[in-house]
Amino acid sequence: MVAIPSFWDERKLLVFLALIIVASVAMLFEINAARRGGQSLADEIVGTVVTPIARAINGIGQAIGSEAYVVTHAGVITAENARLAQKARDLASANERLKARGDENTELRRMLGVRLASPAKTIEADVVGYSPEAARKEIAINRGTRDGVQRNDVVVNGEGLVGHVIDAGAHLSHVLLVMDPTSAVPAFLLRTHTWGIVFGSGPHARMKYIGQDVKVLEGDKVVTGLGEIYPAGIPIGAVLEVDRKDNALYQVAVLQPAIDVASLAHVLVLTSK
Amino acid sequence: MSTFDPAREADRLRIGPSRPPRTARVDAEISVPPRFPVLLAIAFGCAILQSTVLSGVEFRGAHVSLLTVLVVWTGLRCGVVTGGWLGLFAGVFADALGGGGVNVLGLTLAGFGAGLLANRFFWDSLPVFIAAVALATIVHTLIAWMILALAFAERGAFITTTHTMAWAVLLNCAVAALSLAIVRTYGVARTGRS
Repeated sequence: MVAIPSFWDERKLLVFLALIIVASVAMLFEINAARRGGQSLADEIVGTVVTPIARAINGIGQAIGSEAYVVTHAGVITAENARLAQKARDLASANERLKARGDENTELRRMLGVRLASPAKTIEADVVGYSPEAARKEIAINRGTRDGVQRNDVVVNGEGLVGHVIDAGAHLSHVLLVMDPTSAVPAFLLRTHTWGIVFGSGPHARMKYIGQDVKVLEGDKVVTGLGEIYPAGIPIGAVLEVDRKDNALYQVAVLQPAIDVASLAHVLVLTSK
Repeated sequence: MSTFDPAREADRLRIGPSRPPRTARVDAEISVPPRFPVLLAIAFGCAILQSTVLSGVEFRGAHVSLLTVLVVWTGLRCGVVTGGWLGLFAGVFADALGGGGVNVLGLTLAGFGAGLLANRFFWDSLPVFIAAVALATIVHTLIAWMILALAFAERGAFITTTHTMAWAVLLNCAVAALSLAIVRTYGVARTGRS
């Protein structure tokens, strides 16, 4: 009698067990490193190899993209250039007025004996990569512990809040974006002076725990509230729509994040020290 | 009268020169699967591409996963051992570039699971490949969310982002169909057979 080979013969079972054990060990190393806010050996090796390649690819991509934009938007760029030139002139005159006020302010503070709050030290960084799988929305930056970056440092750019550092290696750090579902940021609605918490939700973010009596309008600005790791006043985004149900305790505001993830190239890390 | 000629029969049975070779060419395979180091290099390249150029390609919050498509193809083409190990290494690459350990188990299972189908289906069957990629995407995403919930105490992310999984399945299936068409075309061009 000929024996029919089983779907799960002994060899397959052995391979399955070996793979599961090795994959679980690799996963636990990664999770352990992520919980500590550091990087595993595999992260360090791959990061070291990938960073220069990724920077080169990003540089080529951005160069091609910007050239293509110039070619396709020549008219728009000319008009925008004229508008920005006018704005630069306006800002220059406003800057002169503010300088005068600043000098006056410093003098008054000196007289009152009030010490100026020193701003957090900032570190410039380039974005060298994004999370390859969509499970977590992260970016990789080319600064690490040797540059002074630490876990939970807040990352911003000119438009607003980008996220915070979740693990820092020697030369490379990963930043959890504000629109990641695992991100939670204490937030403040500027117009109504209302507190809430902003959670990531795919391409958007959601501000939860807003009381039912608060009148939230489309376009309302949301900034960070002072929290354990976040300083106050960094723009998070603007209200896109409001989800208000009569039978719910709170209303939820869907936010358009201030940053454009696709065009992130340079960021600032606000160090906690 | 009998037509039996003993001399002719004896000639026929006598050991002589071997038969002339067949003129028609017989190929056992259209293409030979790449070696494991080559597959590993392709997986590394896919991870870098996903981390850089393809990160900007987004459709309703979903991103293309070349790694999933490659791992499933390898499993179907080469079996459980190669598929499983490639899935493991692909997962390690993906986690090292950002993920915190949520990808390695899902991609390993995707490669191994595709390898289980290798003995039952032709690897270049479009419906089988697409179905396997769709299933692998769902399994990978569910395992990633499960690990996020267990290891990072993140609850409810699955509910708010389920719809992106559906779009990711669609994107990956489209990429899988395109990849298979390219592989088939390459095989035809290499062997000269249609």
